[in-house]
Amino acid sequence: MSGHIIETMMLTKKYGDFTAVDQLEMTVDEGEIFGFLGPNGAGKTTTILMLMGLSVPSSGTAKVVGYDIVEESREIRKVASVLPEYSSLYGELTAYENLDYIGKLNDIPKEEREDRVEEMLEIVRMSEWADSKLESFSRGMKQRVGIAAALIKEPKVAFFDEPTLGLDPIGTKEIRELIIRLNKEQDLTAVLTSHLLPEIQMTCSRVGIINKGRMVVTETLENLSKEMTGAEDRSVEFRLSDVPQGLIGELEAISGVKSVTQENGRLYVYSGIDSDYDVSKTITDHGAVILMMRPREYTLEEIFMKYYEEG
Amino acid sequence: MAGTLTVAQKELRDQFGSKRFLILFGLVLLLSTLAAYQGVDFIRDNTAAGFVYIFSGTQMSFSFIQTMVYFGPLLGLALGFDAINKERANGTLSILLGQPIFRDSVINGKFLAGATALATLVVGTIVIMSGVAIPLLGFGPTFTEASKIIVLMLLTIIYLVFWMCLGILYSVLTKRTSTSIMASIATWLTFSIVITILASVVSGFLAPLPGGEFRVQTEDGRFQMTPEFMEAMQKRNAIMSNIRKISPTNLYQDAASDILGVAGGFMRGMGFQQFQRTLTLGEALAANWANIAAIVVGLVICFAGSYILFLRSEIRPGE
Repeated sequence: MSGHIIETMMLTKKYGDFTAVDQLEMTVDEGEIFGFLGPNGAGKTTTILMLMGLSVPSSGTAKVVGYDIVEESREIRKVASVLPEYSSLYGELTAYENLDYIGKLNDIPKEEREDRVEEMLEIVRMSEWADSKLESFSRGMKQRVGIAAALIKEPKVAFFDEPTLGLDPIGTKEIRELIIRLNKEQDLTAVLTSHLLPEIQMTCSRVGIINKGRMVVTETLENLSKEMTGAEDRSVEFRLSDVPQGLIGELEAISGVKSVTQENGRLYVYSGIDSDYDVSKTITDHGAVILMMRPREYTLEEIFMKYYEEG
Repeated sequence: MAGTLTVAQKELRDQFGSKRFLILFGLVLLLSTLAAYQGVDFIRDNTAAGFVYIFSGTQMSFSFIQTMVYFGPLLGLALGFDAINKERANGTLSILLGQPIFRDSVINGKFLAGATALATLVVGTIVIMSGVAIPLLGFGPTFTEASKIIVLMLLTIIYLVFWMCLGILYSVLTKRTSTSIMASIATWLTFSIVITILASVVSGFLAPLPGGEFRVQTEDGRFQMTPEFMEAMQKRNAIMSNIRKISPTNLYQDAASDILGVAGGFMRGMGFQQFQRTLTLGEALAANWANIAAIVVGLVICFAGSYILFLRSEIRPGE
């Protein structure tokens, strides 16, 4: 298994002429929360459906918990769970009945099932509404019951497909914290998909960015951010006490400085990180005082956009 | 198998709890109980009539068989038309199939639950009708009559399950429940009403009645139909009855009426042979085996089709 709980090899899915997932390569390690990021229609859900054995790949293959997704999909469904996007449990059943049904489908014996349903409802804080019908719940509550249903089989890995879609900020926070807690307390490996960056930023240790069915990059969030800001030029904003004559010309002469512009009393120096020392020194040598110096860092939003556009 | 039974159990609970099923059951019970009262009246007035008239009805009344002919397709289709596509539309299918069950457990379980619900409906209706009739009449069915009623019961269950399987097939073929419900209603109307209209139009076209005088006066002053007219009428009837045979409702009606051994119902016979034909159960089955086989074959084709299509279908995002 080589430490990877999920491993795909050239995984491809075509619907007619449309290629939803294109030679996807990805690995997820045991115990991590992996963020699967990409715009709508990038192929995230299709990938998950294939990994759960619900959809058959057109070519390529993958292993989940060591089982082949085509040959041993039923084994996978014993140890992996999915909380599908837009999905719902049965509206006409109560929260308890829904979980009980899922438990039965997993062949959990009656007594153990009763205990586990209670426990799961406790974990997602829905015990109070155990006997209310699912259709009477808010989206956030439904999602919590959905997570409980996904956990009833005590899976090794769980796929959460856009778990916070359509939730209010409080609901979003609750779900996010729940997933982190499950990861820590129950050693659950989680794959979380989202098209929203902050979502991933706050929960995941590692992200894979997918676009048009292809994995564009897989990296830890830190590295991703470093990679973007380290090597490349960026703009540094200066607020100075005054801008002496000739300063701009001299700054432009420093090697590594690409351009200098003055706007609204601010100076924007476009350069690499190595030139920062020389730039500041030149300014103070001219008798001006630096009131503020702020390198404009790439937000993850921009990293994200960059990869989206590349794909 | 465990998965199948779990699904069946859940689906059966859904069926019995659904307003749809309760409304249809109520409607069938109402019509059947009324038919039972009429049957009791008829039997009291005609000493030659046996207990089975409770179910077959009389020339001019509405019977259990008639209820099944007209509402049977609706009952069966109503229990099947959204079996699969409702799960797709609600997004429950991916959660259900995300459990460690074989995919066929889902469709087998739904079939089992629907068939059980329909069997309960038929048995329940027949028991209640008997429960109404026996105290009023003061006597019950003889052994022969009871066996006829049991065979009728089985035939009715198979007939209703056939319609349910057609409904399940629609639910596999269509994405939306609104499409499959329209297909179901169209099917129901076609086989219970349109086919009869079609039969008369086609037969009129293929066997036009000769023009001119349709009757002649014989020497003793009575009127008689002309031979040409008689021939055209017979031809027309033959064509009509063949077209009617396309419809499972008519196959069922013919078989069911023969099993009870009486020509019942206002649509059948049109003659004055109320007590002339009394087939034994064996004779009835021998005469109608093709009809019964056609219904069974239809059931098997619809279910096998749904089964194969469902197993091969894709689970798309959002389902």
